Amino acid sequence: MNISKIALFSCIFFTIFLSADSIYKFDNSVEEKRFYSLISEIRCPKCTSGSIASSDVPVSRDLKQKVYELILAGSTDKEIKAYVTERFGASSDYKPAFEGANYLLWFGPFIFLGILMLIFLLNRKL
Amino acid sequence: MSIIFRSLIILLPLIIFITYGKILITDRDGDFASFEPKEFPEFNLQDLRDGEIDLKEFNGISLLNVWASWCITCLVEHPFLTQLSNNDIKLIGLNYKDSQIKAKQWLRKRGDPYLFSIYDPRGDLAFDLGVTGAPETFLIFNQKIIGHIQGELNQEKWQSTFVPLINTATKGN
Repeated sequence: MNISKIALFSCIFFTIFLSADSIYKFDNSVEEKRFYSLISEIRCPKCTSGSIASSDVPVSRDLKQKVYELILAGSTDKEIKAYVTERFGASSDYKPAFEGANYLLWFGPFIFLGILMLIFLLNRKL
Repeated sequence: MSIIFRSLIILLPLIIFITYGKILITDRDGDFASFEPKEFPEFNLQDLRDGEIDLKEFNGISLLNVWASWCITCLVEHPFLTQLSNNDIKLIGLNYKDSQIKAKQWLRKRGDPYLFSIYDPRGDLAFDLGVTGAPETFLIFNQKIIGHIQGELNQEKWQSTFVPLINTATKGN
């Protein structure tokens, strides 16, 4: 085996150890699950569309780090989302809460579909 | 009755097409025209040049401009910022994720339009302000943030976004 083959082999071999070591370390899997679900629900403020989980721009990295720190500090999911939307606006929450004007957001399409169905059915009978 | 239904088939897609078309055509910068005023976040940072950070400068109308020596668009807006500061607009810098040496060099080379620059190497204050990158500019009136522009500040954005906000804010006084 020549030197370049050894070099190539060790590159491939050691990459496994590098990637296995996560940047975000948690004491338990509940916190870890919460972290990954939260970062997939927070919109990357610098992107056209995409969560901070899928983005590596500096502000997304900062946001992920902050979410990580807040989880370790014992904040609830709701508190973390409030913390983020306070700074980066309500549009940074990909899963808006079930309250107030957001009901229209969640049920709007169904109401619209219902009205269309009603018009359609009324027209058929006449 | 079926005439209503038939016309709906044509009208509905047309309405949807026009509405969405309008959303797409509208300049996104317009979003910042209606800004919910908020308190300026507290911070514990140093002046870029080891001078004094005087929070009294946030009284009246002032601008907080987020800049960095690595930021290309900051170079583009630099002449306009200089023009503003020459017209007695109070301009405060927020040096964002930069090296102190490079930032000072940048100001020496290009000219310094700022009263002072807050040195924020980790982006702590910037995070609390909701900064997504550089450049960004905040309009401040009596310690409160009343406006926000992302990207280059130029004559057009100044006129369309900040001037109306300044007029509304200072009208009462």
